[in-house]
Amino acid sequence: MTITTLLLVLLSAVFVNNFVFAKFLGTCPYLGCSKDTSSATGMGLAVIFVMTMTSAVCWAVYHFFLYPSTANVLYLVFGSAQAAAADSAYIKTHFDLTFLSTLSFILVIAALVQFVEMVIQKVSPALYSALGIYLPLITTNCAVLAVAILNIDGMMLHGTQLGYGHSGSLLFALMNGFGGGVGFTVALLLMSGIRERLDLGDVPRPLRGMPIAFITAGLLAISFMGFLGLVK
Amino acid sequence: MPSLLNVSSSPHIRTDDSVPRIMWTVVIALVPTCAYSVYLFGWYTLALILVCVATAVITEAAIQWWRKVPVTVSDGSAVVMGMLVACNIPPCITWWIPVIGTFVGMAIAKHCFGGLGYNIFNPALIGRAFILAAYPKDMTTWKIVGTAAKVDATTTATPLMMLKEHGYPYLIEHFGGDKWALYKDLFIGNVGGCIGETSALLILVGAGIMLARKVITLYIPLSYLGTLALLTFVFKGDPLFAILAGGVMLGAWFMATDMVTSPVTKKGQVIFGAGCGLLTFIIRTYGGYPEGTSYAILLMNATVPLIDRFFTNRVLGTK
Amino acid sequence: MTTQLKELTKGLWEQNPIFVIALGLCPTLAVTTSVRNAIGMGVSTIFVLVLSNVLISAVRTIVPDKIRIPCYIVIIAFLVTVVDLVLAAYFPDISKAIGLFIKLIVVNCIILGRAEAFAAKNNPWRSMLDGIGMGIGFLIALLMVSGIREVLGANKLFGYVVFPGWRPIGVMVLAPGAFLTLGLLLGWKRLSELKH
Repeated sequence: MTITTLLLVLLSAVFVNNFVFAKFLGTCPYLGCSKDTSSATGMGLAVIFVMTMTSAVCWAVYHFFLYPSTANVLYLVFGSAQAAAADSAYIKTHFDLTFLSTLSFILVIAALVQFVEMVIQKVSPALYSALGIYLPLITTNCAVLAVAILNIDGMMLHGTQLGYGHSGSLLFALMNGFGGGVGFTVALLLMSGIRERLDLGDVPRPLRGMPIAFITAGLLAISFMGFLGLVK
Repeated sequence: MPSLLNVSSSPHIRTDDSVPRIMWTVVIALVPTCAYSVYLFGWYTLALILVCVATAVITEAAIQWWRKVPVTVSDGSAVVMGMLVACNIPPCITWWIPVIGTFVGMAIAKHCFGGLGYNIFNPALIGRAFILAAYPKDMTTWKIVGTAAKVDATTTATPLMMLKEHGYPYLIEHFGGDKWALYKDLFIGNVGGCIGETSALLILVGAGIMLARKVITLYIPLSYLGTLALLTFVFKGDPLFAILAGGVMLGAWFMATDMVTSPVTKKGQVIFGAGCGLLTFIIRTYGGYPEGTSYAILLMNATVPLIDRFFTNRVLGTK
Repeated sequence: MTTQLKELTKGLWEQNPIFVIALGLCPTLAVTTSVRNAIGMGVSTIFVLVLSNVLISAVRTIVPDKIRIPCYIVIIAFLVTVVDLVLAAYFPDISKAIGLFIKLIVVNCIILGRAEAFAAKNNPWRSMLDGIGMGIGFLIALLMVSGIREVLGANKLFGYVVFPGWRPIGVMVLAPGAFLTLGLLLGWKRLSELKH
């Protein structure tokens, strides 16, 4: 996995396949936390942090507990090497827990968010006062669960399927999670600036609040289509 | 909205004497390049321009009548919007496609946000981006109908499309192996392209009119074109070609300078222009479209509230 | 009886989860490219919502207050996994198109929102009625958005051509169309309320 590839993954996650504008992920917090720039910044930073962490931890869960391979901890503890040697499908038939991905990922995320909250509170009260109120909200941010699920399949880049099974899949997951968070933050900041201005404007009454926020998001999505084809 | 008391934050233009003056100046400034396109591509092009203007005016009047607010189509802003949509479409596109674009730009990008002075995005560019996404093939086909066409073989593809698909040497060869011949054709306007973007010379004439009447300033166009040329030069491209070809001239002088959707301060305007240049360069060089002007300006429109927030002039006596 | 009927009907329009409470927006935007996908999503959500409401309501007195949210999430995630696997087995095309968002029902605010706001405080029967009403309200919203988008963006309804010879506005089935449609629908609903 070269630096160029990583940069392209980052660019793709931030601009081309922006989580909000191209994938419709995290729409509820996107509209909920974009009313002013300061809460947008706080939420954005918290999301970047949690999405990167989630990508790494969920990759590890998938690698060591769910995916049937010789690295699977359950196989190492309960499996038998002789049976695996005799039957090549042995590990796959007995230790394939990938159907539990969604369930385990959401539990991991909930625990992780709780844990991060406690650590930050202990280590950096300043950071906690900035991000603290946003962290509990993140558990239900579907972008976080989505990035963990999407990291498994990964993305197509220059004809190579990056994702689980590819040699650099952990690095890819980290970069994709980080980029997804940055893309979410960019979207959030742009939106918050616009909404602050709209508050001073003369939006027709029926459109004030949610409707105009959606329409603005639609126009931002049209603008972001300019990035199409940037990463093939 | 109470009519006696208009409380609003500052860069917004309210309907007053200066709006018609500004808007009709822009209309006059757009006439040379539009008229030249009619000369180049035939009467159908004139019909397209009129259809766009009519759609813009009717849409605006209808919405204002429905909202029971004063109908302000005589201030010329709807005419400018319609002309700018027309400037951003191929000269032979099926007529109802720009009608959709004009309607969407006018109704959604302008009047959903409260009308003139409150829109975040340039309505004409939203119109263009909307139909480009809806009918990509029509918006990038440059077939000439009728025999009135004065441009010959070069009309099948714009110079930027040739650059994107075949590379720079092919492009030069296509224009007779001499890059000064290419510059000349681009400058005079002997190339294919959208209605308003063929002749750099006539766009500059229009820009001159607007500058003379103090409708625009130089900060945005110069920082836009300068950044684009500089980046093209650094990445070993042809800087003069980069600023002459495609819609960047039209965009830099006529659309990026729209005072509602650009920053208030000089510093902000320079940053806005530079951002437009950077994004145009990125989309042209690495993106999927041969031209990125409209998207670059729209994306920078979205950043204007943030630019205004972080690059304000210092208020006297504060830090 | 009338109050029970009210639990059922309130979610359909007055407290519609999308148009009024604005919950569960991601799937509303993402899966509404065609009516077929919208129905797949709506029915899956109703199934999860009704069963999770009933189950959570049934265990509400047993579960300690402090760990109730994780418990709810486990119940919901279990139900979602069931739906996900059933859909993948019987409707592979729908599963392929909207599979990610089926998985994401786990974090759909409607489900957890109803669990917290209603099922945790009411008996299983009422919770079921609430779940059915809210679920159908969600489905109605999905059908409206997807109907508009499929007709305008693909000139089709349930895959059949609507206006022969007309060229659809392709961008309506892309991302911008989703945001614009939902925004204008919300505005339209607000407008009709303001008139009263």
